[in-house]
Amino acid sequence: MALNKSSWFLVFLLINIDALVSADVDFTAPESADRPEPALSAAAAVFKPAVDSLFSLNLLSSFPEDLEISDYCTELLNIFGQRYVDYVKCLVPAARPVRVCQNCFSSYGSLVDTYTNISSDQMGPGNVSCRDSLLRSDRLMLVFQLYSNLDDLWTRSLCKQCLTDGLHNLSNTTLYFMTLLNQTISCFDKYKQGNHTELCKSCKNTYRGLNELYGGMEKNHTLCIDIEDAMNMTRRLWSKNFNCSFPREETVAVIAVSSFMVFLPIIFYLSSFLHSEQKKRKLIHPKRAKSYNSLMNIQDKLS
Amino acid sequence: MANITKKVSWSSRADESAAAGEGTPLLNGSEQPQHSRQLSGGGSLFQIGRLSTVDLEEEITSDEDSLRGRPKEIPHNEKLLSLKYESLDYDNIENQLFLEEERRMSYMGFRCLEISRWVVCGLIGFLTGLIACFIDIVVEQLAGIKYQVVKENIEKFTEAGGLSISLILWAVLNSTFVMMGAIIVAFFEPIAAGSGIPQIKCYLNGVKIPRVVRLKTLVVKVCGVICSVVGGLAVGKEGPMIHSGAVVAAGVSQGRSTSLKRDFKIFEYFRRDTEKRDFVSAGAAAGVSAAFGAPVGGVLFSLEEGASFWNQMLTWRIFFASMISTFTLNFFLSIYHANPGDLSNPGLINFGRFESDSVAYNLYEIPLFIAMGAIGGLLGALFNVLNYWLTIFRIRYVHRPCLQVMEAMLVAAVTATVSFAMIYFSNDCQPLGPEHTEEYPLQLFCADGEYNSMATAFFNTPERSVRSLFHNQPGTYNPLTLGLFTLTYFFLACWTYGLAVSAGVFIPSLLIGAAWGRLCGILLASITSNSSTSAQDSTAIWADPGKYALIGAAAQLGGIVRMTLSLTVIMVEATGNVTYGLPIMLVLMTAKIVGDYFEEGLYDIHIKLQSVPFLHWEAPATSHWLTAREVMSSPVTCLNRVEKVGTIVDVLSNTSTNHNGFPVVVQVSGSDESGKLCGLILRSQLIVLLKHKVFVELARSRLTRRKLQLKDFRDAYPRFPPIQSIHVSQDERECMMDLTEFMNPTPYTVPQETSLPRVFKLFRALGLRHLVVVDDENRVVGLVTRKDLARYHLGKHGLEELQLAQT
Repeated sequence: MALNKSSWFLVFLLINIDALVSADVDFTAPESADRPEPALSAAAAVFKPAVDSLFSLNLLSSFPEDLEISDYCTELLNIFGQRYVDYVKCLVPAARPVRVCQNCFSSYGSLVDTYTNISSDQMGPGNVSCRDSLLRSDRLMLVFQLYSNLDDLWTRSLCKQCLTDGLHNLSNTTLYFMTLLNQTISCFDKYKQGNHTELCKSCKNTYRGLNELYGGMEKNHTLCIDIEDAMNMTRRLWSKNFNCSFPREETVAVIAVSSFMVFLPIIFYLSSFLHSEQKKRKLIHPKRAKSYNSLMNIQDKLS
Repeated sequence: MANITKKVSWSSRADESAAAGEGTPLLNGSEQPQHSRQLSGGGSLFQIGRLSTVDLEEEITSDEDSLRGRPKEIPHNEKLLSLKYESLDYDNIENQLFLEEERRMSYMGFRCLEISRWVVCGLIGFLTGLIACFIDIVVEQLAGIKYQVVKENIEKFTEAGGLSISLILWAVLNSTFVMMGAIIVAFFEPIAAGSGIPQIKCYLNGVKIPRVVRLKTLVVKVCGVICSVVGGLAVGKEGPMIHSGAVVAAGVSQGRSTSLKRDFKIFEYFRRDTEKRDFVSAGAAAGVSAAFGAPVGGVLFSLEEGASFWNQMLTWRIFFASMISTFTLNFFLSIYHANPGDLSNPGLINFGRFESDSVAYNLYEIPLFIAMGAIGGLLGALFNVLNYWLTIFRIRYVHRPCLQVMEAMLVAAVTATVSFAMIYFSNDCQPLGPEHTEEYPLQLFCADGEYNSMATAFFNTPERSVRSLFHNQPGTYNPLTLGLFTLTYFFLACWTYGLAVSAGVFIPSLLIGAAWGRLCGILLASITSNSSTSAQDSTAIWADPGKYALIGAAAQLGGIVRMTLSLTVIMVEATGNVTYGLPIMLVLMTAKIVGDYFEEGLYDIHIKLQSVPFLHWEAPATSHWLTAREVMSSPVTCLNRVEKVGTIVDVLSNTSTNHNGFPVVVQVSGSDESGKLCGLILRSQLIVLLKHKVFVELARSRLTRRKLQLKDFRDAYPRFPPIQSIHVSQDERECMMDLTEFMNPTPYTVPQETSLPRVFKLFRALGLRHLVVVDDENRVVGLVTRKDLARYHLGKHGLEELQLAQT
């Protein structure tokens, strides 16, 4: 199914590029104004494959030599398509539970290689660079878009943090985490039947080890989506399914201390109300009287 | 008490002046008391008819007796004016020294002055930004350590048992930090308590609050803020930034520090109130801009609070200072966050980016926003009423520094306890987000991989909590958590504001508002998704509770502080999204209208409770029938143009009258009536004159003596020595002093018949300190000062009069 779909993409892509190249011709070369029909038909063909792809292929007309993409580039494009399909085929089954990093890192690596080939400005045989013709000769930029989507996925999955440099192997921490995880899960399996309190007690150490490792990895930025997801699942098992979270046990003590604390200000305000003397303000007579007095003093002295 | 405070009696004051006039020969106004008795006596009869509460009269007369006898003591209340506050001398004294200096100054000199103004503003912005940066980093580090310790402790005890020990640890840590903050505030600099915005408002209004712009205040403020935020109180560090900016401005513009006794011999021209106040407004703006990353908001804040003395160049300079400040903060924070050059941390509180597509609003949401504004107004009024009673209680009973420290520590402990209890009993567990926006996730009894959602709200610095309320995905908080959080935080914040710690109320208000706003958003989403058939559409529209959190935050803040224009702009700038301008403005308007119906804004309440003679924009509405004659103080202590030193010393050292301005008169030859007004001289000038012994006799004997210059007055500014410290020998008392050169020869005067609003307008617009009231022959009749004007205010029973009191 997936294969089918991907090849579909490829076909679509080819047609598209051709159609747009021809459109390009219309703009850049006014002397070829006698060709609107092929361009139009090609454009029509773009929409047609939805109905019948075989016919549309036949409707393609060819372009002059210099505008066609070179064989080398076609080859590259084919390889890209193949690897793209491989990677997507790997990704989809690994969606839930998330295994995208551990399962698909190698196919991602090869996809990146191909894309690097296409996008490099090195000249291939016959002095052609496929970068311009494949990546940016039309407004859709399909190859680029397809790649950048997957690249975005890869970046967001943070897979790089779980791999060794060069993307060839899973890193040691990741492998260690996997081992610990397996231990924990098997411990869960062992005690799953029966009383969960026993499970909480027996698997506590492995679980905590796992938790601590996870915390450490979080700090070192060596987490990827696989590990995060696995940890989330384990935590949910632990807390929700087996109910091993900490119970709320000291309610009485907390209430006692809190009410004591809250009681203190009441005592404080009461005591300051009762014992502290109230601050009084001395009223001053309106200024008239005062100035009059002072004036009299001056006058006494003067006279 | 109520009777006294409600003293609305014009009749009684007429009695007093009459009593003052009886049989007392006066130096310069022997016929005037009679005159005033006649007039005001007649006026009183007339006025009683106007009073809406005529029944008060009897009580008043009985009060009057006790008032006469001895100084009456009453409990502190809001209807007092304190004697300790004075006006700033915003009016330029155009005496001969000033004219001489101006003549000497070249064109280049003025250019240099203009340039140095810009330099000072740049420095203000820079230093304010640095201080903000310092506070931010220290708070982040210390709070990080504290939360880490508590978190580890809680994790340890969740498993082993003994969580009450974690609770005590948390409470003790909080109390320790808060204790340090409270001790430095309560014992060393009480003026640094609170957010400082009321004080700066007063300063910009023209009231000189003692010690408000000292270096010591700044140090205490900065340390105090750090302690109280790290101590986990329900406070923010934004309000104090405004005060800090103002202190920086007042310090930098003077080019010296009186506290450190260092004089850099620069910016000497700026050593007077006029210039200093301009720079202080720039500093306040820089503070706002550093706090919220809102340069325009900062300028508008200064404009809103001090707009009566304003010009276009000053505005432009203030804007420059604000920009520099936010840029400095930005730059240094980017270095701290290890990506220098990235200028995306504009303020201390960063609301984060509101993506315009995810939180777009629609026309039909506007009524909802307005309703939320009304809720904000109501809650804000409730907050203010509660805080008002609490503050009165504190002023009356918790006034000793050690009691204040204890209170602050108790609040800190209770805050920790309540937070812990909320977290402990919360069942709201949420999975950890992919980006780990939660700084210190607490698991407690949640499943592994999940965290306690209550803990993100409580176990965090308030700034972070605000941000997570704004930006966390829908579904991060469940409604019960938010409701409980709003309730507890409301009371905690209300209880905390007014403690003897330096801390602001902006962030707690935002937090409360964001919590209930988000709650509104969640409830709306659930209602609409239940009822409507096209659930898909409606949830898409109502889905994001973040914008409701923002609107709620604006409503709550507006309901508490009642700022208008500047707050709108600050909120818009802090969110970085201009499209929210309209809803935020509507919300703030509604909140202000609804809130003002019940109670004043929080800052105004605190200004009132501190008995500050604050002049509002306008005179009270029903006061046109009051004339200058009723308003003024009279009789006035006048000085002669050539006065005996002894007289001057006696007048100045009279402790019962702490006058600051003295009209200078010339005696009309051959008459004993009061002389004609020819100038006005200030206490500070007289003190400088006495200190330099500028006596007529001495000038004759020592001709080589240097002439006194304006510089000598500036050197003494702003802390003029008290009169007691100036020694005048018995011989010198007989000398004469010629005030002609030093007095302000053209003081503003009004005739006696001028109405109160007219006097008020003149006073407010020109930033006057003394306004001489003269009769038709230019003889001094009385003097209007700030306290004479500020005592009238419109209360529930019509026009009321505040009383003067010693505090």
